[in-house]
Amino acid sequence: MDKVTRRGAWVVAVMVTAILAALWLEYALSPWPGQHLGHTQAGHIIGWIGFGLILLTFAYPAQKRLRPNQIWSRPRLYMHEILGILGPLLILVHSGAHFHAVVPVMALVALGLVVISGIVGAVLHSLAFRTLYDRRHELAQGGLDDRAIDARLHELAAQEGILRWWPWVHVPLTAVFVVLTVMHVGGALYFGGM
Amino acid sequence: MGYVPPWFYRWVLAAVVTLVIWLAWASTRTPEALWAPGHLSRYHAGVQSCMHCHEPFQGPTAARCVACHDVAGFRREAGSVADFHVGAVERQRRCVTCHTEHRGDTAPITIRPLHNPHGELVFLATGARSCADCHAFPDGLGGRPTLLDNALVGDLIEEGEGAHRRGGFARCADCHAGGRVESDD
Repeated sequence: MDKVTRRGAWVVAVMVTAILAALWLEYALSPWPGQHLGHTQAGHIIGWIGFGLILLTFAYPAQKRLRPNQIWSRPRLYMHEILGILGPLLILVHSGAHFHAVVPVMALVALGLVVISGIVGAVLHSLAFRTLYDRRHELAQGGLDDRAIDARLHELAAQEGILRWWPWVHVPLTAVFVVLTVMHVGGALYFGGM
Repeated sequence: MGYVPPWFYRWVLAAVVTLVIWLAWASTRTPEALWAPGHLSRYHAGVQSCMHCHEPFQGPTAARCVACHDVAGFRREAGSVADFHVGAVERQRRCVTCHTEHRGDTAPITIRPLHNPHGELVFLATGARSCADCHAFPDGLGGRPTLLDNALVGDLIEEGEGAHRRGGFARCADCHAGGRVESDD
């Protein structure tokens, strides 16, 4: 098993474990059989916190769009990724494995697709960085100076087309998720009360 | 983001707007499928509209409940449950403190399964007409009831000559086997 496959298997194992843990937590926190956590005040609060964390993930793309010339920040991307996993896990605790109304089910499916596309993107991003790092190392050993290495890597980075499709998947899914979630929250407040 | 042309975002916006319009249209046709967290119980299977029970941004209100389940209706019934509901309606208690819905057609409509640990014996022996004659339910039937300090409870304690005491009422059948008012002792 090569490094990429091993890393992929590890990511999938952690994802499955986290999902099962969230579903178990929902079951454990439900007051009694038939009364789901999502329909209790505690469940509502967990849902709001999860939604709040997800909203905070928008700080990273917003900053990239509003300040395109600012140097890219790895910690901010990490924060985007961590919040983008913690928030959806809390939403999963909020929802549990109970599916009936179409709007929240669609919102949950959209959220799952956003998270999966995000994790795939993070893995690809990481691999791209590793490729660049390895290439820089090779070029340095070949006797090139830093300026020449930067020029070569700039070409390599420009040719790195694998991430170009990225916004084509992540952005529409996110838009659909946000709209469905706003509708779900609006519907819950409209029918369930403020 | 620089690789994505502006028209792409216009298409995304158009797709999202189309989705919202479809959901709005579907909401007028099959609102329960889109919004309800579960099927209605068999008791409310005939309800035709969400707004029959729900008030916008207030949820299912007592005012909507008593439009069908009014005091006169409860008074026509006999028994402790009917009396309890008469009192609850007259005191303008919130129905959703004890009741819930959308848990399926065979599910109970009380928030948790109700169990009277005393059996009907306690009503027969004391003349109480309702659980609320002896108990307060601070958090509705979902919470732990407390024993009231009133004449009915006082008489029951006195009647037990030491056997009836707070925290020990639930084991009626230990002495009143078979539901007899007179104990074996």
